[in-house]
Amino acid sequence: MSSSAGPAVDLSVEIAGLTLPTPLIAASGTFGYGDEYLGVADYEAIGAVSAKGLYLNPRDGCPPPRIWETPSGMLNAIGLQEVGIERFLAEKLPSVRELGKVLLANICGSSFEEYGELSRRLDQAEGVHAIEVNISCPNVSEGGIEFGCDPDMAARVTEVVRRGTRLPVIPKLSPSVPDVGVMARRLENAGADALSLINTIPAMAVDVETQRPRLANIVGGLSGPAIRPIAVRMVWQAARASSLPVLGMGGIGGAGDAVEFLLAGASAVQIGTMNFVDPGVWRRTLNGLQDYCRRHGVARIRDLTGAMEPFAPPPGGTR
Amino acid sequence: MPVDRVAANPLRAAPAPRRDVEARLVSREALSPDAQLLRFDTGAPADALPGQFAMVRLEHGGLLRRPYSYCDLGAEGHGSGFALLVKEVGIGTRALLQLGIGGAVSCLGPLGTAFDPPRPDRIPVIVAGGVGIAPFVLFARRLQEAGRRGIVLLGGRSEADLYLREEFERFGMDVRCATEDGSFGRRGRVTQLIGAALDDARDVQLYSCGPTGMLLRTAELARASKIPHQVSIERRMGCGMGCCLGCVVWARRRPGDSAEYLRSCTEGPVFDADAVAWDRDPHPL
Repeated sequence: MSSSAGPAVDLSVEIAGLTLPTPLIAASGTFGYGDEYLGVADYEAIGAVSAKGLYLNPRDGCPPPRIWETPSGMLNAIGLQEVGIERFLAEKLPSVRELGKVLLANICGSSFEEYGELSRRLDQAEGVHAIEVNISCPNVSEGGIEFGCDPDMAARVTEVVRRGTRLPVIPKLSPSVPDVGVMARRLENAGADALSLINTIPAMAVDVETQRPRLANIVGGLSGPAIRPIAVRMVWQAARASSLPVLGMGGIGGAGDAVEFLLAGASAVQIGTMNFVDPGVWRRTLNGLQDYCRRHGVARIRDLTGAMEPFAPPPGGTR
Repeated sequence: MPVDRVAANPLRAAPAPRRDVEARLVSREALSPDAQLLRFDTGAPADALPGQFAMVRLEHGGLLRRPYSYCDLGAEGHGSGFALLVKEVGIGTRALLQLGIGGAVSCLGPLGTAFDPPRPDRIPVIVAGGVGIAPFVLFARRLQEAGRRGIVLLGGRSEADLYLREEFERFGMDVRCATEDGSFGRRGRVTQLIGAALDDARDVQLYSCGPTGMLLRTAELARASKIPHQVSIERRMGCGMGCCLGCVVWARRRPGDSAEYLRSCTEGPVFDADAVAWDRDPHPL
């Protein structure tokens, strides 16, 4: 479906040997296991789905309240409530496979062994096309962000997953690192095929009337447009520091936002919080990307990756 | 409680498919200084079951959508559009209350579970506090259409909080009120009306929505008398579609199961009160 007349634009992208029909990916934890938005979101516009994060065993997650809205942002502490690998494979994957979408399984472990076991189990799973490795969840006491803030630990997790599967391995990075470029290079050397960033930013909010935290977990992760400029900066740094394709995310809610990430170096983008706000975001963004490419004479969307020009003062000088 | 879905019965319709539609404000009725009944038109027949809700988004109403129960449908229960009961609690409700006539909102629905129809041999007794009456206007309308009568127990701090009680009377309900300040009906809490309602009608079925303390007390009374009881539990929601897991309630999926965090947007908002593990839930919203 084209949004307006004009030459066809090739909207497909390639990530670690996978061809995505569009550069738009549903972000893990915001799109269920994949089929929850059927009939509401335009799945044709979605290039891939990253499923809800998985541990080996089911988890209850954090007590509620789990979410709180902040200016242009959403604070959450879900704590990875999930069904575990057995039920994912038996109950969720068969119907998600029917979607015919590129599917990223998103895994989280409380130990290196758990990451390894999950990657071996998913390697054999029909319909799983890549493994996104969550080393950056701010809301779990074990695993998650403690693996993602130390390049040595993150590299070890990546190596373990790499050994467990032939599928593309895509570590999902935390914004809570001093130098994302260093992390990106380490993970490339450890065998990663691509990088996802950024996960939510550790954050909190306090109810000043009750003088209590808004979330039962006290600290949560911030997502949404509030974090977008931070994400754009980190995507730019990670893309410059390594040769891996980057899946950029952080508050993307339209074509302009997506192009910003692509120009900064992303090969594809993930959409999460803004799908909650408007499930029409997929079609609107894809149509907008097509229009953008036509206006700028871009034949293939992949040509936008890293195409940001150097800074130059505008005609008439800076103001 | 399994529900036989028979289309001809207004209480047993099948759920409508979920859609995100634009709705325009056509009228507003002030119910109290901080609450209004807002009627929207969608330009197409609206469909929702009593107890279901919509995720509503509008300009200047915050980032995320907000959940609202369908209070009523169409102009007289049919036709295009729906009505929402809105009380100011934050920026989302404030923006809705200030929306101009003709102003647009995005409305994603219908979502969630609905109230089971009362069994043929039981009198429905509705227990509602404040804006908790919202889902019961549509429910009372459908009860009347099905030729059923029921009892509605309304509670609030004062008379101004007893919204839309004439509507329930219009639908043939026996409306009884309680206010904490005694300005209308019995002085006290709405749950103090439950005992008399149980005495007046031998076989009853309870439905409740309102403040957590009210739900908890109603559940205790229902359990003590072994009365079937469904409860609508509202939680802060991120998506309404079952994906963010922000709106969970500690409850059992089926009798005998162990409790787990169930989504009030998907397994709820209407739960069998016995399924809710009240000792670990309610939590402060």
